[in-house]
Amino acid sequence: MPFVGFSQSFQVNLQGHKQIAMGGAGTGVALDEASVFFNPGAVSFLKQNGVQGGISALYLKTGFRETGSNITEYNKDRIAPPFQAYAVFGNPANRLRFGIGVYTPFGGAMHYDENWTGKYTVTSLDLQAVYIQPTLSLKLTDQIGIGAGLVYALGKVDLQRAVPLTLSTGQSGTAQLKGDTKDFGWNAGIYVKTLSGVSIGITHRSQVTANVKDGDAIFVVPASVASTFPTKFTASLPLPATTTLGLGFYPSEKTTIAVDANWVHWHKYEELAFDYDNNTRIPDTKSPRNYHDAGVIRVGIQNLTTTKLALRAGVAYAFTPVGKGYVTPEVPDANRVLLSAGLGYMPTSRFGIDLSFLYENVLSRTEKNIETNLDGTFKTVAYIPGISLSYKF
Amino acid sequence: MNSKHILKSVLAVAFIAGLSSCKPELKDVTPTNGQADFSRYIAIGNSLTSGYADNGLYLEGQKNSYPEMLAAQMKNVGGGNFSTPFFTEAHANGSGYAKLLGLNANGTPNIGAETSNLAVRGQVAIPGFGNVVLYDKYSGDLNNYGVPGIKLAHVNLAAYGNLNGYYERLLPGNAGTNSTTYLDFVMAKPYTFFSMWLGNNDILGYASSGGVGDIPTPKADFAALYAATVNRLVGSKAKGVVATIPDVTTTPYFRTVTLATLLATIRATAAGASVTTLYIQTGAGTRAATAADLFTLTLSSAGVMGVPNGAGLPYGLHPLNPIENKYVLDATEVATVNDFTAAYNATITSVASANGLALMDANTLLKQYNTPTQVNGAVVSSAYITGNLFSLDGIHLTPMGYAITANAFIKAINTKYGSSIPIVDVTKYRGVKFPLNNN
Repeated sequence: MPFVGFSQSFQVNLQGHKQIAMGGAGTGVALDEASVFFNPGAVSFLKQNGVQGGISALYLKTGFRETGSNITEYNKDRIAPPFQAYAVFGNPANRLRFGIGVYTPFGGAMHYDENWTGKYTVTSLDLQAVYIQPTLSLKLTDQIGIGAGLVYALGKVDLQRAVPLTLSTGQSGTAQLKGDTKDFGWNAGIYVKTLSGVSIGITHRSQVTANVKDGDAIFVVPASVASTFPTKFTASLPLPATTTLGLGFYPSEKTTIAVDANWVHWHKYEELAFDYDNNTRIPDTKSPRNYHDAGVIRVGIQNLTTTKLALRAGVAYAFTPVGKGYVTPEVPDANRVLLSAGLGYMPTSRFGIDLSFLYENVLSRTEKNIETNLDGTFKTVAYIPGISLSYKF
Repeated sequence: MNSKHILKSVLAVAFIAGLSSCKPELKDVTPTNGQADFSRYIAIGNSLTSGYADNGLYLEGQKNSYPEMLAAQMKNVGGGNFSTPFFTEAHANGSGYAKLLGLNANGTPNIGAETSNLAVRGQVAIPGFGNVVLYDKYSGDLNNYGVPGIKLAHVNLAAYGNLNGYYERLLPGNAGTNSTTYLDFVMAKPYTFFSMWLGNNDILGYASSGGVGDIPTPKADFAALYAATVNRLVGSKAKGVVATIPDVTTTPYFRTVTLATLLATIRATAAGASVTTLYIQTGAGTRAATAADLFTLTLSSAGVMGVPNGAGLPYGLHPLNPIENKYVLDATEVATVNDFTAAYNATITSVASANGLALMDANTLLKQYNTPTQVNGAVVSSAYITGNLFSLDGIHLTPMGYAITANAFIKAINTKYGSSIPIVDVTKYRGVKFPLNNN
């Protein structure tokens, strides 16, 4: 399940379409209801209550070419629909405000051809993780706010690969590992409006350890060996903690610049282990991952061009946590460049629509996996348009 | 800000979105032939070259031979048509072959034989030699000259076309009337590139028969003949690749049935519960077997273990009814096999070097799978049946195994001649095929 890292491991942050359009930055600014995610401490600084809901269409294309081959294989077209909804309520005049967020911080749909060259490592990965986060935010003074939310994480995973045993049809056997997870975590932040006008946010989102208990292991293998294969598995995966420092600059009344630096505590992801209920044929597996902590730097700008229109743009650079020799096809990760743009339109003072577009260019990476010996070049790009609707009250 | 600006902004976003039809681009690769000319490639060799697998030569194996794979990849760099003497679809099962019927309760395989749709056209008695099985004649174009059973020692033998049915089927004349040597036959038509993987059978017959059925080709004869053969093949300008001989003593043929498995089977029976020693017949007499003695795969299917002889002595359990020599490659014989294999390989390596040929070190290549190794995520090992590398006969390779050797040939050729023949996708090829139902 390393895939959980995929697409979100570096806070691609499909969390609020204003912020998506601003390179995913938003921790040091009190922009809108998405502060429930970005910085619970900033929620109490929001001038209005509101509710928003949005969705993205994550389209990710990966090309792979085995070293020495002249054939490039691509993953199948699949669009993952990460969504997010946030609401902030309570009296804006009061110091204590409430928020709730429902969002998908991890997710993906990586599907390769059933007969691609890496089929014995993975053929498909579907992952959905929904976080539900009730949040309290307290404005300690007019300059300082703190906030925290409890995260209830619901996960669903479905990992498939080919098994190197030949069926009577000449095709390979297959394995499917699927299961659900229910785990807890938290999200806390502090927000400071300095006298110089610069705002500062510091947040920490805890690690959530996703535990799959009693997951289904469905092996389609020759009948003569089927009874020696497992039917259940247990696995756990750390969804890493993230510490963020965010800054907000306001060069003019209409312009906001947000800068975020994320530090993702990936070092906890040392191995991907599957504990099977039947080890007659296959032992429990411990695949080394040995990720290391990695940072992301994000810069975004918003310009309120008119009272109704806001234009946004951003850029980010994410360092990969995946060391040399550990790249896997379900997470063909590498350092990546993110470019974003978007606009917001408010036809009335209460109703708003935000459009975002995020382009990710994951740098090409050629290496041999130390476990599977899959040796080749991965190159990935992602295109992620999104939309959200919001209503202030 | 007016609606025109909004429109422009929307268009700008739409423009970026339009890029989303783009796929990620990997740097172009242009396969080149380097200093070699692949326009007519010929493959010289034995069963391994013919695509022999599962104790037989049949159409699927022929299609998955490493020369077929090599030739298909060579087409990227100027390679021409490549013809293998395929059996017809109607006679697709060729010589017949072993197939897995299922696994027995104790995990041992239940192996049957495919005997339908064979390409056997008859049998002829060759005076002074014996019976030779004859197969459907093939008279079309020919590039894959792999002949199961051929030794290096046979390449200049004028009568060989009468002694080997797989060679006879390629020749125009009927068995008994042929006098074309193998080397003359393969060289009859000009070629630009050759592969030669010969020499395995010069030691295999001795090894697989437990050291009694054949005599290894003397090392000096092998060295002289190998050099002379390569010399002729190279001629004035042909380029090529030669391969070393895999160590047969580490194949499943010798590593599946072991002293430990034999003892375990016997101890599992009521009568044999206290057995601790097995007796083997060796060239130096009968003695107790040790872990250094190797047993052939054929011993398990022979069904002889523990069977009492006329005197009531159980087979293998008593010094007076030992396991026959033909089922045992005893420690001394193992040393002989290793010694000859090493000497042959030293010859092959030095002749390749002297003639500027590429060298595919098949011995090193296949040996690495004695330790299970992942190939693109698939565990490949020398384990019988589940190892994916060796076919049911325990010596010849599966299609996946042949694909692994094809890539090793490609890498050797590319390294030597500066070419960039693309590799094949090993995962497209199967291992041992399991039956539909559990029997």
